[in-house]
Amino acid sequence: MADRSFSISRLPGFGTIAVAVFVMLYAPIAMLVIFSFNAGDSVAIWEGFSLRWYPEAWANEAVKDATWRSLQIATCASILATTVATMAALGTTRRRATRGQSFVYLMINQPLMVPEIVTAVALLIFFSSIKVATGYQGLGYLIVAHAAFCTPFAYLPIRARLEGMDLSLETASADLYASRWQTFRHVTLPLVLPGAVAGLMLAFVTSLDDVVITLFVKSAGQDTLPTYMLAQIRRSVSAEVNAISTLLLLLTVVLLTAFFLLTRKRT
Amino acid sequence: MSDENAVEARAARKIYGQGAGAVTALDGVSLLIRKGEFFTLLGPSGCGKTTLLKLIAGFESPTEGQILLDGTDITYDPPNRRPVNTVFQSYALFPHLTVADNIGFGLRMQGRPKREVADTVARMLALVRLEAMADRKPGQLSGGQQQRVALARALAPSPKVLLLDEPLSALDLQLRKEMQVELKRLQVETGITFVFVTHDQEEALTMSDRIGVMQAGRLLQVGDPRAIYTRPANRFVASFIGESNFLTGTRDGDTLALGAGPRLTATAMDGAPASGPVTAAIRPEQVRIVQGGGEGIPATVVRSVYFGTDTHAVVALTDGTEITVRMQSPASGDAGLAPGQEVRLTFEPGALIVLPEVA
Ligand SMILES: Nc1ncnc2c1ncn2[C@@H]1O[C@H](COP(=O)(O)OP(=O)(O)OP(=O)(O)O)[C@@H](O)[C@H]1O
Ligand SMILES: [Mg+2]
Repeated sequence: MADRSFSISRLPGFGTIAVAVFVMLYAPIAMLVIFSFNAGDSVAIWEGFSLRWYPEAWANEAVKDATWRSLQIATCASILATTVATMAALGTTRRRATRGQSFVYLMINQPLMVPEIVTAVALLIFFSSIKVATGYQGLGYLIVAHAAFCTPFAYLPIRARLEGMDLSLETASADLYASRWQTFRHVTLPLVLPGAVAGLMLAFVTSLDDVVITLFVKSAGQDTLPTYMLAQIRRSVSAEVNAISTLLLLLTVVLLTAFFLLTRKRT
Repeated sequence: MSDENAVEARAARKIYGQGAGAVTALDGVSLLIRKGEFFTLLGPSGCGKTTLLKLIAGFESPTEGQILLDGTDITYDPPNRRPVNTVFQSYALFPHLTVADNIGFGLRMQGRPKREVADTVARMLALVRLEAMADRKPGQLSGGQQQRVALARALAPSPKVLLLDEPLSALDLQLRKEMQVELKRLQVETGITFVFVTHDQEEALTMSDRIGVMQAGRLLQVGDPRAIYTRPANRFVASFIGESNFLTGTRDGDTLALGAGPRLTATAMDGAPASGPVTAAIRPEQVRIVQGGGEGIPATVVRSVYFGTDTHAVVALTDGTEITVRMQSPASGDAGLAPGQEVRLTFEPGALIVLPEVA
């Protein structure tokens, strides 16, 4: 009884509530993972362990097609978003504060605050007029749309990194004969890189998992993995979808773990 | 003779900000720093020392005035085009680079050949005695070692001038003493002009060839340590560097009359008023107390405080002016000065200085 200071963990019922919350958060996911190994095709009745849904999902041309498209979009969009976010973060941290600075923050982070459905409808209208004008029907629209709403996710860790950086390092670099570009290349960029990689992964995951905006913006035959799964589930609940979800979950866990390792404070 | 001067500031003014919030950090500083000297800028916090270094390094440009390097006007050259390097107070070592890569940074940015970079880095590592640490990252070094890397990094490109902004202030006393010796050794060995900033007067006196004393954006006096200490140009310098007793009186040639009281022999500084009311200064250790009559100025002991090696006595002259006297404590530890005791004060000719300002 050495430590008598207040601790929330000693309140009555704390343990029970904590367990209940964790069960609510993770039980559905656990169910999903478990039933992806179900031998039968039901998602409710366990009929024994089997790996059959994984090769089955993979053998499905539509799944492969959607996966490939999702990866293409997420890769392009997250690189685009990270580049834009890095420039925006440099612009907002490496110059004297100007009037309207907070307005600029607001503009950059706008996709986090505006309801997704509003962005989706706006993009639908905007892109359809471009589609009519140019006749272009490719993946470009989805990539640009994803880059737009992924930018704030990439921006936040990069800005945190730049703000935490000692400005005298850049001064020291200039003092040691580095031009502005050399300073960026040899000092700023290497130091901001963990933030940029973290931002990239966050943007990638965000893009990979988007449904609403993709549904509105995509042309016919441009299903991504999430929209394909949604379509499947509308027809019949299939264990194949469980298998795909489990793989997506695995990918997300890997990326988020890497994100956590990159952004945590060095001890 | 511009070819004898490494750095020259001509009427440099620096005003930060505009309008009501404007701060005058430098108020017309003109200064010559000679080639190969250890020059120290000394002054209280906020007097503009860092600002002056920034003007020389190129991190800021003056509002008015010019900065010359080796006789060439560099006022508006960017920092990367000035053969001047800085040792930052926070060291500012690149955390992602090894010690060796930190030291070689300037040379690589200049595009020097790989061989030359490697040779110079090895030479610098030996100079600061960090050969064993070449492959470490700055985060794995102690404060004193980081300090030496910062020095080596700034020295590696052989700058014409090395600027050091309070480089020792983050170190503890022991290490600070060691680094003072080390810095002086490096300066002598490399022959590079050092411009060193400190607000520690002892550091300035022991390390410098010449000192520039600053206050409130102005340069008050430039001279070698002895000249600054024994011939302070004004009351601020006399009290900022060491301690001084100030006497006000009327000057008449070589004598200073304290009111109706004693007449003292005084040496006048350049610019001191030839007659009339003046201020004079004398160091506490220059005054001697004579007990039991004889020659000297009559005074009364107010109190005496024992400091170990020294004993400080405060005595009052007949006109009431109090003077602090610092003397070596006698073997017995007791200087035998009781409050109220009548004593006499003597000092050598030249110890009492008439300052160039009216009382
Ligand atoms: N970027 C700035 N903007 C506005 N005022 C400044 C700026 N830098 C310095 N000043 C002001 O200019 C004056 C001189 O500052 P400077 O840093 O040169 O002092 P210093 O002699 O180096 O002091 P210290 O010993 O505390 O480092 C101070 O009053 C300071 O507040
Ligand atoms: Mg300073």
